[in-house]
Amino acid sequence: MTIETPVPTAEKTQVSRRGVLGSAGALMIGLVMPGPARREMIAAAAGVSASVNAWVQIASNETVTLFISCAEMGQGIMTGLAQILAEDLMVDWTKVRVVAAPTDAVYNNPAFGMQATGGSSAVAGYYTPLRQSGAAARDMLLAAAAQTWGVTPSQCTVSNGVVTRTGTTQTLTYGQLAALAATMPVPTNPVLTPDNLLRLIGKPIKRVDLPLKVNGKAVYGIDVRVPGMVYAAIKHPPAYGGTVASVASNPNVVNLGNAVAVVADNTWKAIQSARSLSVQWTIPSASSSMTSASILTQAQQLMTSGPALVAETVGDAAGNMGLATKKLDVTYQFPFLAHACMEPLNCTVDLKTDSCTVWAPTQAQTLVQSTASTITGLPISAITVKPTFLGGGLGRKFELDFITQALQIAVAIKKPVKLTWSREEDFSNDWYRPFALVRVQAGLDANNNVVSWIYRNVSESILAQHGYIDHGVEDSQATEGATGLSYNFMSRLVDWVEHPATVPVGFWRSVGNSINAYAVESAIDELALLAGIDPLALRQQLLVNDPRSLAVVNAAAQMANWGTPPASGHARGIAFCNSFGTLVCHVVDVSNPSKYSVRVNNVWTAVDCGRAINPNQVEAQIQGGIIHGMTGALWGQIPINKGMSTVKNFSNYRMARMSDMPKVQVQIINSGQPIGGMGEPGVPPIGPAIAAAYYRLTGTRVRNLPFFPGAPGGGDS
Amino acid sequence: MVTLNVNGQAYQVNADLGTPLLWVLRDIIGLTGTKYGCGIEVCGACTVLVNGEAERSCDMDLSEAVGRKITTVEGLSTDNSHPLQKAWIAQQVPQCGYCQSGMLMACASMMKSNPNPTDAEINAEINNICVCGTYQRIRAGIHTAAKL
Repeated sequence: MTIETPVPTAEKTQVSRRGVLGSAGALMIGLVMPGPARREMIAAAAGVSASVNAWVQIASNETVTLFISCAEMGQGIMTGLAQILAEDLMVDWTKVRVVAAPTDAVYNNPAFGMQATGGSSAVAGYYTPLRQSGAAARDMLLAAAAQTWGVTPSQCTVSNGVVTRTGTTQTLTYGQLAALAATMPVPTNPVLTPDNLLRLIGKPIKRVDLPLKVNGKAVYGIDVRVPGMVYAAIKHPPAYGGTVASVASNPNVVNLGNAVAVVADNTWKAIQSARSLSVQWTIPSASSSMTSASILTQAQQLMTSGPALVAETVGDAAGNMGLATKKLDVTYQFPFLAHACMEPLNCTVDLKTDSCTVWAPTQAQTLVQSTASTITGLPISAITVKPTFLGGGLGRKFELDFITQALQIAVAIKKPVKLTWSREEDFSNDWYRPFALVRVQAGLDANNNVVSWIYRNVSESILAQHGYIDHGVEDSQATEGATGLSYNFMSRLVDWVEHPATVPVGFWRSVGNSINAYAVESAIDELALLAGIDPLALRQQLLVNDPRSLAVVNAAAQMANWGTPPASGHARGIAFCNSFGTLVCHVVDVSNPSKYSVRVNNVWTAVDCGRAINPNQVEAQIQGGIIHGMTGALWGQIPINKGMSTVKNFSNYRMARMSDMPKVQVQIINSGQPIGGMGEPGVPPIGPAIAAAYYRLTGTRVRNLPFFPGAPGGGDS
Repeated sequence: MVTLNVNGQAYQVNADLGTPLLWVLRDIIGLTGTKYGCGIEVCGACTVLVNGEAERSCDMDLSEAVGRKITTVEGLSTDNSHPLQKAWIAQQVPQCGYCQSGMLMACASMMKSNPNPTDAEINAEINNICVCGTYQRIRAGIHTAAKL
């Protein structure tokens, strides 16, 4: 098993369409999509430039190349999708080579209609088409063997890339069969390997990218080097929405209108020059007066006055509140949060007269291509987007600001250029998780039924700010995690009020779920206390009609020995969330509260993602989601003053570190339900699980996040 | 022009002596395994060994590095034969992998003086940031490497 990622100066595998079929002795098969089957067969022909639209390539030397369409940002997708593709192909896994696919419509994520990585959608979106592609290729290889021997395919068997004629010792290898197989018709409905014979799917296959990630060979966007390139740094306005009023003319300075770039012969010089550069800015008055306090005040007014857009309503929630014998009315407050990807934003552009190559750690390959076309004026066909590893994506690298800037700089200076943002620019100019205010009103009757659930979220609109929807229209991102809850409330009303603040907001790992799950699950915990019953028992009661959710909650509780008393000085909490089609329940054990922290000793997690493709990586995503959620809930906050983040670096943005890492145990439930995502669902329930435990430990209910504002960021050891 | 000893090799470097070692390694020598994360010695992504001790290269001037032995992640081994590299793969430690160069160097430095650290010692010693949250597997990787 090897992996190939783009190295800037290396020639990429290039293949052409059917015109050169067979000349290279290779088989390629396009994605077998539902609906009209894709019939193209394309062959490998190194050096021939053409659009690539294939997933599997088998060369005469037995090398099997799998093209992986998604961005590898740590979630192990290059391995996961390769497992799916290789399963029905019945290939020798040790001979598989995994290659990051270029940007082409054939690689579009069925969940998006474009090539993009996000929304925990990769495995769910590509699972069926990739299995069909692998199986179709296998059947074509079998058909080629059968034709060679003058027998029917049913008289042939295949194992590890070798076809055997039944009842004989005759064999043919995939490499020998590839050229002939490429001429066989593409089967429209190939038989998939039955579950009990799966060799790769469901197995903890070692990740294909890790050998490169322990010796410095992995090429991230920031590592790209192009001959003759210069290095650029960026300087943004001191408040959001600012524009350049004036900047002195200088051949190394590029005025981008809403920012200024400086180029130099290394990154350090560029960053230093950008810092010291004098720029006059025009700042919108609404921005210069914007502070965390003004945003909160406005949110409190909007919470009362609306106007609210209804996201979900079942029954008469307002009327039913009259049936309640006990009522909860609580408001939770969430700060802006930064993504803080370990790899700062960067993009490299090599613009020539008739072509443009872009290297970027991006989650939005298709959008990078179209952006490059727009800025350079070149046709899409002249734009090559080269995938690189991402040093974290987390939703930040779905954005196009850093891509746009690098392209604009390249157009202006007419040299290959790599733009690298300083960490200070990254923290100051993020598309943050939105500030939100959430009010939950709930009523219990005498039997502890939740007779009414009224939920309102006030926050900026991510989708409107990006131009995906109009302002004043319901934004699904704002209420995800608050709608479609599994709990059998007797009535419910979920609505949202758009906050008009102009702080840039975006997609932060699990997006609305991380906000709404905190409010929903904390409110459930508070309802249990109000009812005087155990929070697990209340959830069991509310999930009585949802056996799948109930199984997840019960599994986590059992792992944690829920019901037995915690150790002295410890407390437990539980929370559940169904996001991206995956159900996660965390139970936590906490102790040792202090001014700026609480020790999270253990997390017991049950997860049902339908089917785990690689259980080791499911576990890794749960571990990572817990840390991401802990950073966000315990310490994360981007305060705003005069229209700008006051956080500039990790020194005042406390991240979870080694000493914060709880012992995480994960139980995977393969329910056989439709496959859900794994990149994000570990995040939402960890904050409220800790909040529930923290209340029992300290008597303090944390309704204003973070738990520990002002915690020092920490420094050198 | 100064001479810099990196991974046992002598490099002639033409750069301002105030340039941080990180950027000399990355942009001038072309050893991009060492990563930029914060530039202020907080995150640890740029950790290298200087005369065998972990140092954050983002805040070490070129002038301070001259005359010392610099080891970067590329110097652990290029064939993944170093015990920490083997252990990192065995325990499937990295996710995005961006912080792992610095993590590996910090761990290599720690294990020179403490070849078999406890979890408490690891917690106290390793404070590099991993946003992916691989800390539990880093601990496991260190314990595995200690046995190799």
